[in-house]
Amino acid sequence: MQLQSAHQELLDLGFELYAISYDEPDALADFAAAHGITYPLLSDPDSEVIRAFGILNTLIPPDDHPWFGIPFPGTYLIDADGVITDKFFDANLAIRFGPEQLLALARGEEALFEELEPVDAVQVDVWIEGRDMPPGIQRDVVARFRVPDGQHLYDDPVPEGLVAATIEIESAHGLIVFDEIRPSTHPLELGDGTSLSVYDGDVVIRRPVTQNGQAGERIDGTRMVMIRGTVRWQACDDDQCGLPQRQAFELTVPAGRIVIPDTGPAAGKAVPMNGDKHLERMRTRRGV
Amino acid sequence: MDTTAERLGDGPLWLDVHGFPGPKKPGDGPRRDPVGNFPTGPEIGAVLPDIVAQNHDGEMLDVHAHRAGKPAAVVFFRSAVW
Repeated sequence: MQLQSAHQELLDLGFELYAISYDEPDALADFAAAHGITYPLLSDPDSEVIRAFGILNTLIPPDDHPWFGIPFPGTYLIDADGVITDKFFDANLAIRFGPEQLLALARGEEALFEELEPVDAVQVDVWIEGRDMPPGIQRDVVARFRVPDGQHLYDDPVPEGLVAATIEIESAHGLIVFDEIRPSTHPLELGDGTSLSVYDGDVVIRRPVTQNGQAGERIDGTRMVMIRGTVRWQACDDDQCGLPQRQAFELTVPAGRIVIPDTGPAAGKAVPMNGDKHLERMRTRRGV
Repeated sequence: MDTTAERLGDGPLWLDVHGFPGPKKPGDGPRRDPVGNFPTGPEIGAVLPDIVAQNHDGEMLDVHAHRAGKPAAVVFFRSAVW
């Protein structure tokens, strides 16, 4: 499971991690043992918690066993008081957010600027967070803008002649690109009644991406996904603006694999976790 | 839900509108994806409702008590079996 890779770092940042599903406890125990899960997997076999949250997948008829009872999958991030600070859901149930967005929120983006020297002109670094890109798992293309003191960048929308800070990603077969995740801005009043949305100083923009299993090509026996794009920005101070800038990037990352069930088409190829037995019980546990 | 589907080659897998393969046809079984707005539970700013459930060791766990005043991530997923 993708979250396992982030568990220790979340603990180090002072966060706990829980995952809950409609599986029976022994099915979760087999999964945890097979995949080395170190955080609590919680069992909600009657979907009581799922219903209490109001996220039962009601498109599935109640007599459609064993599928009835699953949630619209998603994640909540809560603070020390238990208040929800962020949540992640996607209508395509094959798409899961990766742990990178969670870690970024838990850590704070300012950590990406630690121990960096001040710059005289905007410097941009682009990378992808996540060591691979398995089908359906979101990874983040990250653009870190180091901005000199006294200068600022812009968020959309900008008036004609100005360029907002953006990450553009070229479309490619099998590649799925999501909306950018942008930090909050400050209004800059222009004096004529209009205002612009500006980023004060350093800024990080994220653009989640995933692939559907058909992206990329084999290089030396490993399927690699290529992500090509352009970062654009324009820096201004209170008096004047610099020229619009652009910087192309090309990221290459191994496609990787997701954890697959050991029942169904992948039986015999996946890590064994008694899937047939558990699935049979899920078919019959509601008295059918 | 969007039930647009095509076969992946001659094999047993079906592709959904985004090209994701799966053994079930989109719109069937667990591949009933919502279209448009769908419920995502309590909103940002609300206190996370109580979660008391058995963990994978079979012991009862209360999330708010267990996290002992720490922030947390709570993930609802579909299944660890299929």
